[in-house]
Amino acid sequence: MGERTEQVITLSLPSSMQHVYLLRAVVTEILKETDFNEDTQERINLATIEAGTNAIQHGDREDPDKPTIFQLILTENELIINTADEKAESRHKESETEQVITLSLPSSMRHVYLLDVVVTEILNNLDFAEEIQEQINLAAIEAGTNAIKHGNKEDPSKKAIMQFLLDEDKLTIVIEDEGEGFTRKEVADPLDPENLLKSSGRGLFLMEACMDAVTYEANGTIIKMVKYKT
Amino acid sequence: MQVNVRHKGSITILDIEGKIIGPDALALKSIIDQQIQAFSSETEQGENLNLILNMERVQMMDSTGLGILVAAYTTIRRTEGRVVLLNLGGNIRSLIVMAKLMTIFDCYNTEAEAIGHFL
Repeated sequence: MGERTEQVITLSLPSSMQHVYLLRAVVTEILKETDFNEDTQERINLATIEAGTNAIQHGDREDPDKPTIFQLILTENELIINTADEKAESRHKESETEQVITLSLPSSMRHVYLLDVVVTEILNNLDFAEEIQEQINLAAIEAGTNAIKHGNKEDPSKKAIMQFLLDEDKLTIVIEDEGEGFTRKEVADPLDPENLLKSSGRGLFLMEACMDAVTYEANGTIIKMVKYKT
Repeated sequence: MQVNVRHKGSITILDIEGKIIGPDALALKSIIDQQIQAFSSETEQGENLNLILNMERVQMMDSTGLGILVAAYTTIRRTEGRVVLLNLGGNIRSLIVMAKLMTIFDCYNTEAEAIGHFL
Protein backbone atom coordinates (compact mmCIF):
# COMPACT_ATOMS: atom_id res chain seq x y z
CA MET A 1 0.00 0.00 0.00
CA GLY A 2 3.01 2.34 -0.02
CA GLU A 3 2.04 4.46 2.99
CA ARG A 4 4.86 6.85 2.29
CA THR A 5 3.51 7.93 -1.06
CA GLU A 6 -0.04 8.37 0.21
CA GLN A 7 -1.43 11.79 -0.57
CA VAL A 8 -4.53 12.98 1.23
CA ILE A 9 -6.43 15.88 -0.29
CA THR A 10 -9.42 17.20 1.60
CA LEU A 11 -12.14 19.40 0.16
CA SER A 12 -14.83 20.81 2.38
CA LEU A 13 -17.83 22.41 0.68
CA PRO A 14 -20.99 24.11 1.90
CA SER A 15 -23.83 21.63 1.42
CA SER A 16 -25.30 23.30 -1.60
CA MET A 17 -25.73 21.62 -4.96
CA GLN A 18 -24.08 24.60 -6.68
CA HIS A 19 -20.71 23.34 -5.40
CA VAL A 20 -20.85 19.90 -6.98
CA TYR A 21 -19.03 21.31 -10.04
CA LEU A 22 -16.10 22.11 -7.75
CA LEU A 23 -15.90 18.50 -6.59
CA ARG A 24 -15.99 17.34 -10.18
CA ALA A 25 -13.17 19.73 -11.15
CA VAL A 26 -11.00 18.55 -8.24
CA VAL A 27 -11.57 14.85 -8.94
CA THR A 28 -10.91 15.35 -12.66
CA GLU A 29 -7.61 17.09 -11.87
CA ILE A 30 -6.53 14.43 -9.35
CA LEU A 31 -7.38 11.64 -11.78
CA LYS A 32 -4.95 13.16 -14.27
CA GLU A 33 -2.17 12.12 -11.89
CA THR A 34 -3.29 8.48 -11.92
CA ASP A 35 -2.83 5.64 -14.39
CA PHE A 36 -6.57 4.99 -14.73
CA ASN A 37 -7.69 4.95 -18.34
CA GLU A 38 -10.11 7.57 -19.60
CA ASP A 39 -13.15 5.34 -19.32
CA THR A 40 -12.34 4.42 -15.71
CA GLN A 41 -11.64 8.06 -14.87
CA GLU A 42 -15.06 9.01 -16.15
CA ARG A 43 -16.70 6.29 -14.04
CA ILE A 44 -14.79 7.30 -10.91
CA ASN A 45 -15.84 10.88 -11.52
CA LEU A 46 -19.47 9.87 -11.93
CA ALA A 47 -19.41 7.78 -8.75
CA THR A 48 -17.88 10.69 -6.84
CA ILE A 49 -20.54 13.09 -8.07
CA GLU A 50 -23.25 10.64 -7.02
CA ALA A 51 -21.70 10.26 -3.56
CA GLY A 52 -21.30 14.03 -3.28
CA THR A 53 -24.86 14.71 -4.38
CA ASN A 54 -26.10 12.12 -1.91
CA ALA A 55 -24.17 13.67 0.99
CA ILE A 56 -25.30 17.20 0.12
CA GLN A 57 -28.97 16.46 -0.64
CA HIS A 58 -29.79 13.67 1.75
CA GLY A 59 -27.11 13.90 4.43
CA ASP A 60 -27.07 17.62 5.00
CA ARG A 61 -30.38 18.39 3.29
CA GLU A 62 -28.72 21.16 1.34
CA ASP A 63 -28.01 23.24 4.44
CA PRO A 64 -25.07 25.46 3.33
CA ASP A 65 -24.09 26.00 6.97
CA LYS A 66 -23.18 22.33 7.18
CA PRO A 67 -20.07 21.37 5.25
CA THR A 68 -19.80 18.22 3.21
CA ILE A 69 -16.26 16.87 3.42
CA PHE A 70 -14.55 14.92 0.69
CA GLN A 71 -11.33 13.14 1.45
CA LEU A 72 -9.41 11.96 -1.60
CA ILE A 73 -6.60 9.55 -0.79
CA LEU A 74 -4.19 8.83 -3.59
CA THR A 75 -1.75 5.96 -3.15
CA GLU A 76 0.53 4.33 -5.66
CA ASN A 77 -2.15 1.99 -6.92
CA GLU A 78 -5.52 3.24 -5.76
CA LEU A 79 -7.72 6.23 -5.23
CA ILE A 80 -9.96 6.21 -2.15
CA ILE A 81 -12.73 8.77 -1.86
CA ASN A 82 -14.41 9.25 1.51
CA THR A 83 -17.48 11.43 1.86
CA ALA A 84 -18.72 12.78 5.17
CA ASP A 85 -21.71 14.99 5.75
CA GLU A 86 -21.32 17.12 8.81
CA LYS A 87 -24.03 16.53 11.37
CA ALA A 88 -22.34 18.77 13.91
CA GLU A 89 -22.76 22.52 14.05
CA SER A 90 -20.60 24.31 11.55
CA ARG A 91 -17.47 25.68 13.14
CA HIS A 92 -17.85 28.83 11.09
CA LYS A 93 -21.25 29.63 12.42
CA GLU A 94 -19.99 32.41 14.64
CA SER A 95 -18.74 34.37 11.66
CA GLU A 96 -21.09 36.06 9.27
CA THR A 97 -19.45 34.50 6.29
CA GLU A 98 -22.04 32.98 4.03
CA GLN A 99 -20.09 30.10 2.56
CA VAL A 100 -16.75 28.52 3.35
CA ILE A 101 -14.82 26.24 1.00
CA THR A 102 -11.72 24.57 2.38
CA LEU A 103 -8.99 22.78 0.45
CA SER A 104 -6.25 20.93 2.28
CA LEU A 105 -3.25 19.79 0.23
CA PRO A 106 -0.09 17.80 0.93
CA SER A 107 2.86 20.13 0.36
CA SER A 108 3.94 19.06 -3.09
CA MET A 109 4.38 21.65 -5.83
CA ARG A 110 2.36 19.61 -8.33
CA HIS A 111 -0.75 20.37 -6.26
CA VAL A 112 -0.48 24.01 -7.32
CA TYR A 113 -2.49 22.91 -10.38
CA LEU A 114 -5.24 21.59 -8.13
CA LEU A 115 -5.32 24.88 -6.29
CA ASP A 116 -5.53 26.68 -9.63
CA VAL A 117 -8.50 24.52 -10.65
CA VAL A 118 -10.32 25.20 -7.37
CA VAL A 119 -9.72 28.96 -7.48
CA THR A 120 -10.75 29.16 -11.15
CA GLU A 121 -13.98 27.26 -10.45
CA ILE A 122 -14.81 29.39 -7.41
CA LEU A 123 -14.15 32.60 -9.36
CA ASN A 124 -16.30 31.43 -12.28
CA ASN A 125 -19.26 31.63 -9.95
CA LEU A 126 -18.52 35.00 -8.37
CA ASP A 127 -19.22 38.27 -10.10
CA PHE A 128 -15.73 39.71 -10.35
CA ALA A 129 -14.59 41.28 -13.62
CA GLU A 130 -12.29 39.03 -15.66
CA GLU A 131 -9.23 41.16 -14.95
CA ILE A 132 -9.93 41.00 -11.19
CA GLN A 133 -10.43 37.22 -11.41
CA GLU A 134 -6.96 36.94 -12.92
CA GLN A 135 -5.49 39.00 -10.08
CA ILE A 136 -7.19 36.90 -7.40
CA ASN A 137 -6.12 33.69 -9.13
CA LEU A 138 -2.51 34.89 -9.25
CA ALA A 139 -2.55 35.95 -5.58
CA ALA A 140 -3.94 32.53 -4.58
CA ILE A 141 -1.28 30.69 -6.60
CA GLU A 142 1.43 32.86 -5.02
CA ALA A 143 0.10 32.24 -1.52
CA GLY A 144 -0.25 28.50 -2.13
CA THR A 145 3.25 28.27 -3.62
CA ASN A 146 4.57 30.25 -0.67
CA ALA A 147 2.94 27.89 1.86
CA ILE A 148 4.04 24.70 0.04
CA LYS A 149 7.56 25.78 -0.90
CA HIS A 150 8.77 28.26 1.70
CA GLY A 151 6.48 27.42 4.62
CA ASN A 152 6.33 23.63 4.47
CA LYS A 153 9.56 23.17 2.47
CA GLU A 154 7.72 20.80 0.10
CA ASP A 155 7.33 18.19 2.86
CA PRO A 156 4.26 16.19 1.71
CA SER A 157 3.47 15.18 5.30
CA LYS A 158 2.75 18.85 6.01
CA LYS A 159 -0.52 20.42 4.92
CA ALA A 160 -1.18 23.65 3.14
CA ILE A 161 -4.75 24.65 4.00
CA MET A 162 -6.64 27.19 1.91
CA GLN A 163 -9.98 28.58 3.03
CA PHE A 164 -12.20 30.56 0.71
CA LEU A 165 -14.76 32.69 2.53
CA LEU A 166 -17.50 33.74 0.14
CA ASP A 167 -19.44 36.82 1.18
CA GLU A 168 -21.82 39.00 -0.72
CA ASP A 169 -19.42 41.94 -0.80
CA LYS A 170 -16.03 40.20 -0.79
CA LEU A 171 -13.91 37.10 -1.17
CA THR A 172 -11.43 36.26 1.59
CA ILE A 173 -8.70 33.67 1.11
CA VAL A 174 -6.91 32.34 4.19
CA ILE A 175 -3.78 30.23 3.69
CA GLU A 176 -2.17 28.33 6.50
CA ASP A 177 1.03 26.30 6.52
CA GLU A 178 2.88 24.23 9.12
CA GLY A 179 6.19 25.99 8.67
CA GLU A 180 8.28 28.17 10.96
CA GLY A 181 6.80 31.41 9.72
CA PHE A 182 8.53 34.62 8.69
CA THR A 183 8.52 38.35 9.33
CA ARG A 184 7.11 40.36 6.45
CA LYS A 185 9.39 43.33 7.11
CA GLU A 186 12.47 41.17 6.67
CA VAL A 187 11.51 40.15 3.14
CA ALA A 188 13.41 42.33 0.66
CA ASP A 189 11.54 44.73 -1.63
CA PRO A 190 11.63 43.30 -5.17
CA LEU A 191 11.21 46.81 -6.63
CA ASP A 192 14.42 47.99 -5.03
CA PRO A 193 16.82 48.58 -7.97
CA GLU A 194 19.35 46.19 -6.49
CA ASN A 195 16.73 43.39 -6.38
CA LEU A 196 15.12 44.08 -9.74
CA LEU A 197 17.08 41.42 -11.61
CA LYS A 198 16.75 38.72 -8.97
CA SER A 199 15.04 35.56 -10.12
CA SER A 200 12.87 35.20 -7.01
CA GLY A 201 11.30 37.17 -4.15
CA ARG A 202 8.24 38.65 -5.89
CA GLY A 203 5.51 36.41 -4.45
CA LEU A 204 4.41 38.48 -1.45
CA PHE A 205 4.69 41.70 -3.42
CA LEU A 206 2.37 40.33 -6.13
CA MET A 207 -0.15 39.08 -3.57
CA GLU A 208 -0.27 42.53 -2.01
CA ALA A 209 -0.50 44.22 -5.42
CA CYS A 210 -3.35 41.98 -6.57
CA MET A 211 -5.53 41.96 -3.44
CA ASP A 212 -7.20 44.80 -1.51
CA ALA A 213 -5.79 43.71 1.85
CA VAL A 214 -3.19 41.14 2.91
CA THR A 215 -2.49 40.45 6.57
CA TYR A 216 0.04 38.13 8.15
CA GLU A 217 -0.92 36.29 11.31
CA ALA A 218 0.64 33.66 13.58
CA ASN A 219 4.16 34.68 12.62
CA GLY A 220 3.34 34.55 8.92
CA THR A 221 2.05 30.97 8.94
CA ILE A 222 -1.43 32.32 8.28
CA ILE A 223 -1.96 34.79 5.45
CA LYS A 224 -5.35 36.42 4.99
CA MET A 225 -6.16 38.13 1.70
CA VAL A 226 -9.31 40.08 0.85
CA LYS A 227 -10.79 41.30 -2.42
CA TYR A 228 -13.92 43.46 -2.36
CA LYS A 229 -16.52 43.26 -5.07
CA THR A 230 -17.02 46.97 -5.64
CA MET B 1 2.04 24.16 -20.30
CA GLN B 2 3.46 23.24 -23.67
CA VAL B 3 6.50 24.66 -25.38
CA ASN B 4 7.34 24.35 -29.06
CA VAL B 5 10.91 25.18 -30.08
CA ARG B 6 11.49 26.67 -33.55
CA HIS B 7 14.58 28.03 -35.25
CA LYS B 8 14.57 30.79 -37.84
CA GLY B 9 18.10 31.28 -39.04
CA SER B 10 20.12 32.21 -35.99
CA ILE B 11 17.02 33.00 -33.94
CA THR B 12 15.41 30.55 -31.52
CA ILE B 13 11.68 30.95 -30.95
CA LEU B 14 9.81 29.31 -28.06
CA ASP B 15 6.03 29.20 -28.55
CA ILE B 16 4.68 28.82 -25.03
CA GLU B 17 1.11 27.71 -24.37
CA GLY B 18 -0.86 27.41 -21.12
CA LYS B 19 -0.11 28.53 -17.60
CA ILE B 20 3.43 29.19 -16.43
CA ILE B 21 2.84 28.29 -12.80
CA GLY B 22 4.19 25.77 -10.28
CA PRO B 23 6.37 22.98 -11.66
CA ASP B 24 5.69 24.12 -15.24
CA ALA B 25 7.61 27.33 -14.54
CA LEU B 26 10.63 25.18 -13.65
CA ALA B 27 10.06 23.08 -16.77
CA LEU B 28 10.24 26.27 -18.84
CA LYS B 29 13.52 27.13 -17.13
CA SER B 30 15.06 23.82 -18.11
CA ILE B 31 13.89 24.24 -21.71
CA ILE B 32 15.50 27.69 -21.87
CA ASP B 33 18.68 26.34 -20.21
CA GLN B 34 18.82 23.54 -22.79
CA GLN B 35 18.64 26.11 -25.58
CA ILE B 36 21.44 28.13 -24.01
CA GLN B 37 23.57 25.01 -23.61
CA ALA B 38 22.86 23.61 -27.06
CA PHE B 39 23.68 26.98 -28.57
CA SER B 40 26.99 27.40 -26.79
CA SER B 41 28.15 23.88 -27.66
CA GLU B 42 27.05 23.89 -31.30
CA THR B 43 28.03 27.30 -32.52
CA GLU B 44 31.19 29.16 -33.30
CA GLN B 45 32.57 31.48 -30.71
CA GLY B 46 31.35 35.01 -31.14
CA GLU B 47 27.81 34.01 -32.05
CA ASN B 48 25.16 34.84 -29.52
CA LEU B 49 21.84 33.27 -28.65
CA ASN B 50 18.91 35.35 -29.87
CA LEU B 51 15.77 34.13 -28.16
CA ILE B 52 12.14 35.07 -28.79
CA LEU B 53 9.61 33.97 -26.18
CA ASN B 54 6.22 33.91 -27.87
CA MET B 55 3.72 34.48 -25.06
CA GLU B 56 0.60 34.71 -27.24
CA ARG B 57 -0.99 31.58 -25.78
CA VAL B 58 0.16 32.06 -22.20
CA GLN B 59 -2.96 32.39 -20.07
CA MET B 60 -1.23 33.09 -16.79
CA MET B 61 2.21 33.44 -15.26
CA ASP B 62 3.20 33.54 -11.59
CA SER B 63 6.21 35.03 -9.82
CA THR B 64 8.22 31.84 -10.40
CA GLY B 65 7.57 32.17 -14.13
CA LEU B 66 8.47 35.86 -14.05
CA GLY B 67 11.68 35.00 -12.19
CA ILE B 68 12.55 32.54 -14.94
CA LEU B 69 12.15 35.24 -17.61
CA VAL B 70 14.45 37.47 -15.58
CA ALA B 71 16.98 34.64 -15.15
CA ALA B 72 16.86 33.99 -18.92
CA TYR B 73 17.49 37.69 -19.54
CA THR B 74 20.49 37.88 -17.18
CA THR B 75 22.04 34.58 -18.32
CA ILE B 76 21.71 35.30 -22.04
CA ARG B 77 22.85 38.90 -21.65
CA ARG B 78 26.02 37.65 -19.98
CA THR B 79 26.90 35.87 -23.21
CA GLU B 80 25.90 38.97 -25.17
CA GLY B 81 22.82 37.29 -26.53
CA ARG B 82 19.36 38.86 -26.36
CA VAL B 83 15.84 37.89 -25.27
CA VAL B 84 12.70 39.52 -26.59
CA LEU B 85 9.08 38.92 -25.63
CA LEU B 86 6.40 38.51 -28.27
CA ASN B 87 2.62 38.99 -28.02
CA LEU B 88 2.18 39.73 -24.33
CA GLY B 89 -1.42 39.36 -23.16
CA GLY B 90 -2.87 42.09 -20.97
CA ASN B 91 -2.42 40.20 -17.70
CA ILE B 92 1.18 39.18 -18.46
CA ARG B 93 2.01 42.72 -19.49
CA SER B 94 0.57 44.19 -16.30
CA LEU B 95 2.50 41.61 -14.25
CA ILE B 96 5.76 42.75 -15.89
CA VAL B 97 4.78 46.41 -15.41
CA MET B 98 3.94 45.82 -11.73
CA ALA B 99 7.34 44.23 -11.17
CA LYS B 100 8.98 47.25 -12.90
CA LEU B 101 10.57 44.96 -15.49
CA MET B 102 9.16 46.58 -18.62
CA THR B 103 12.43 48.46 -19.13
CA ILE B 104 14.57 45.34 -19.27
CA PHE B 105 12.47 43.40 -21.77
CA ASP B 106 12.00 44.37 -25.39
CA CYS B 107 8.42 43.51 -26.31
CA TYR B 108 6.86 43.19 -29.76
CA ASN B 109 3.43 42.44 -31.13
CA THR B 110 4.41 40.64 -34.33
CA GLU B 111 6.97 37.96 -35.04
CA ALA B 112 8.40 40.00 -37.93
CA GLU B 113 9.07 42.94 -35.59
CA ALA B 114 10.61 40.64 -32.97
CA ILE B 115 12.91 39.09 -35.59
CA GLY B 116 13.72 42.59 -36.82
CA HIS B 117 15.10 43.35 -33.36
CA PHE B 118 18.05 41.03 -34.03
CA LEU B 119 18.85 42.25 -37.54
